[in-house]
Amino acid sequence: MMYTLFLCLRYLTRKKIVVFPILAVWLCVMMLIIVNSIMTGFVNRVRSAGRGLMGDVVIQSRSAAGFPYYAQIQTRINRLPQVAASTPVVNAYGLFNLPNFQTSMGVEIVGIDPATQSQVSHFGSDLFWQHAAPLQTAADLAQAQFPASRHSLLTYAQARLKKAINLEEKLRKKLVAMPVITPTTWFAAIRHHWQAIAREDWENANYAVDRSFRDLGYLRRLPAHSTFASDAALRRALVPAVVTFKPPAQARQHYASPTDEPANGCIIGVDLGLYQKDRFGHYHRPADVRFSPAILTVVPVTLRSTLAMPQSRRFQIVDDCRTRVFTADSSQVYAPFKVVQKMAFMQQQDLLGGGTRPARCSQIQIRVHGDSSHAAVVAARRAIAAVVRKFVRKHPRLQDAGLQVQTWDQVQAQYIRAVDNERDLITFLLGLMSMVVVVVIFLIFFMIVRDKTRDIGIIKAIGGSEIGVGTIFLLYGLLISAAGALPGMLAGVEFVRHDNYIHDHILWRYFGISIWNRKIYIFSHIPDQVDMHAVATIVALAILAGLVGAFIPALIASMQDPVEALRYE
Amino acid sequence: MSNLLELVDVRKTYRIGPAEIPVLTGTSLAVARGEFVALVGASGSGKSTLLHIAGVLERADSGTITFDGRDVSKLSRGRRHALRNSKFGFVFQLYHLLPELNVLENVLLPAMIQANAWRTLVRAWPRQQKATAILEELGLSNRLRHRPNQLSGGERQRVAIARALVNDPAILLADEPTGNLDPRTGRTILDVFQRLHRDHHQTILIVTHDVQVAALADRVIKLEDGRVQGA
Repeated sequence: MMYTLFLCLRYLTRKKIVVFPILAVWLCVMMLIIVNSIMTGFVNRVRSAGRGLMGDVVIQSRSAAGFPYYAQIQTRINRLPQVAASTPVVNAYGLFNLPNFQTSMGVEIVGIDPATQSQVSHFGSDLFWQHAAPLQTAADLAQAQFPASRHSLLTYAQARLKKAINLEEKLRKKLVAMPVITPTTWFAAIRHHWQAIAREDWENANYAVDRSFRDLGYLRRLPAHSTFASDAALRRALVPAVVTFKPPAQARQHYASPTDEPANGCIIGVDLGLYQKDRFGHYHRPADVRFSPAILTVVPVTLRSTLAMPQSRRFQIVDDCRTRVFTADSSQVYAPFKVVQKMAFMQQQDLLGGGTRPARCSQIQIRVHGDSSHAAVVAARRAIAAVVRKFVRKHPRLQDAGLQVQTWDQVQAQYIRAVDNERDLITFLLGLMSMVVVVVIFLIFFMIVRDKTRDIGIIKAIGGSEIGVGTIFLLYGLLISAAGALPGMLAGVEFVRHDNYIHDHILWRYFGISIWNRKIYIFSHIPDQVDMHAVATIVALAILAGLVGAFIPALIASMQDPVEALRYE
Repeated sequence: MSNLLELVDVRKTYRIGPAEIPVLTGTSLAVARGEFVALVGASGSGKSTLLHIAGVLERADSGTITFDGRDVSKLSRGRRHALRNSKFGFVFQLYHLLPELNVLENVLLPAMIQANAWRTLVRAWPRQQKATAILEELGLSNRLRHRPNQLSGGERQRVAIARALVNDPAILLADEPTGNLDPRTGRTILDVFQRLHRDHHQTILIVTHDVQVAALADRVIKLEDGRVQGA
């Protein structure tokens, strides 16, 4: 049967028409890999952002009025070996009013304890101003030359910002040089350039710009003649040791009216609409937003699920938070737990007839010890649920609260499942569209079999069997689909690896096309993740499609009567 | 001389829709080992059909075909393919070379079909030498890597003859091998057949309506209305 392979290879190399099915398979495989990878990346980013939002396990009530005895529940679950940290959260709805900007909007007000919230979720690292101490790297320290004045620090930070912007610009421009590369060094040059503008470099450059802007913002707020002995002294003056709602002393001194009482701080979601976002995903934070006064109005919900008298209080914006969950970033305002609890009428209350009504919260968010793998989180949830069930049995009031103990993905199931389903649906639809490959291969093979009818007669006349002739065409289909699928796979994976650069440097620079508009999307880069299982499945299906497309023509060829085939004109 | 090929009372009718066209109506013929037989007759007399049936390329409706003392008319498809590949060499009027293969590859194809994967590897070189030797004998040593469309009609037919000879067939079946060639080129092809018969005692059954071709044969069989009329 070696002659079947021999003839296949000859047909493959000497018939120009096979370029079309190869191209069709190539494009379909590439398209499916790109779509699947971007959707997988999107799903995983959504998952990771969703998890960072609320820790690993959440205890929450079905009632908008929350549930009591949260401190006792917390004490009990904190004793569990699986639990690393827990924090109560109050969720309330209300209005966010910025008198300086004559802006008000409906928001979700989240009452948190920032220190414990940072232990449970990514809250601490999602903050812009309090995320990391300024000028903290060794290189920074060496160049800043402490003791330093505000003026020298400002000069240094401006130079660093310029450097960061230059680096980012340089990386953006790198690809532009590619078309002048000589053909002989093409492959080596491409490899070099791709590596030079690897994603890590880009992310670092991007972050360096944001960080430099932030440092500059910090320094501008310092009193004019401040001098700092060390980086630690500077850090102490600007950024609190732990995440806090309390504005720094300098900020209070310079930005709040001296006659006002020190206001509580609040932290706004980054996409609340107060910042401009450019095409590259950078947020432009107007200098006057931070520390500007804000009025939060909470609409409390009573135990009977009716609305009570709205409660308003003055706050001061101290930071912004970017969780990368758009619904959170575009609608949430964080404020101190006790304050929001009181505004929502969820604090401990003395009853007229004597006795007290215990304080309530909306959620207890819990962080699990260790690697927080899915299995560990599920096991921890089970242990926590057992503790909660036992506690509820002893406290009849809790039975009405309808307490639920859920893992983070259960809480977000509706959203995550929707994105998951979207990925599967799009892959399925594109897969369905890719069935056109089967049709293309079928049609071209049908033409080839008709064209080769006399050859089939010759092969049979000199001793070729039905199976042999059928195998020639099946093998032909297999080789064509493999010849399309394998480069399609490489092209797809390479495209996914460099999709952000292709988008920014080729589509945008040369054609002015921006598909991934960072003004709109919450992720600064096109999310992508190549799932090798999915890639293998797509390649296998493409090869199978080639076999399916070639099957009927191969069958027709094998059934040809040799004498009729020889007479065919 | 013993008979290599014998057809007895062979009948064949083609059915085209409701119409029935009888082509062979009880034809019998025998070809002895080493004999050069010419089968002549008018167009539509059933010469080519008889040749195809003799070469187990087509099945007869009835009658027996004996090859080398063995009844081959009832052989399975697989055995017929193998028999055709190893014992029969076909030469067609229109050459029937595969356009994607060069001269050497076309000649080697029946040998490749005959060989299994192991033999293909082990015997590749001797087979190639043999094919080259045949092509040299037929005056095509300078055309080994040429494709059929780069050859003249006479050269193509010589390639087809080389292909028919590569597996050392017991009998060469030629269907009007000079029918598509000018008289001079046809003459050179006939010389090839004559040389094969004379020097190698190759058994040949040739279908023709060319008197010049028939004159070269040991024996001429005339076919008329599907029956053999006489020698």
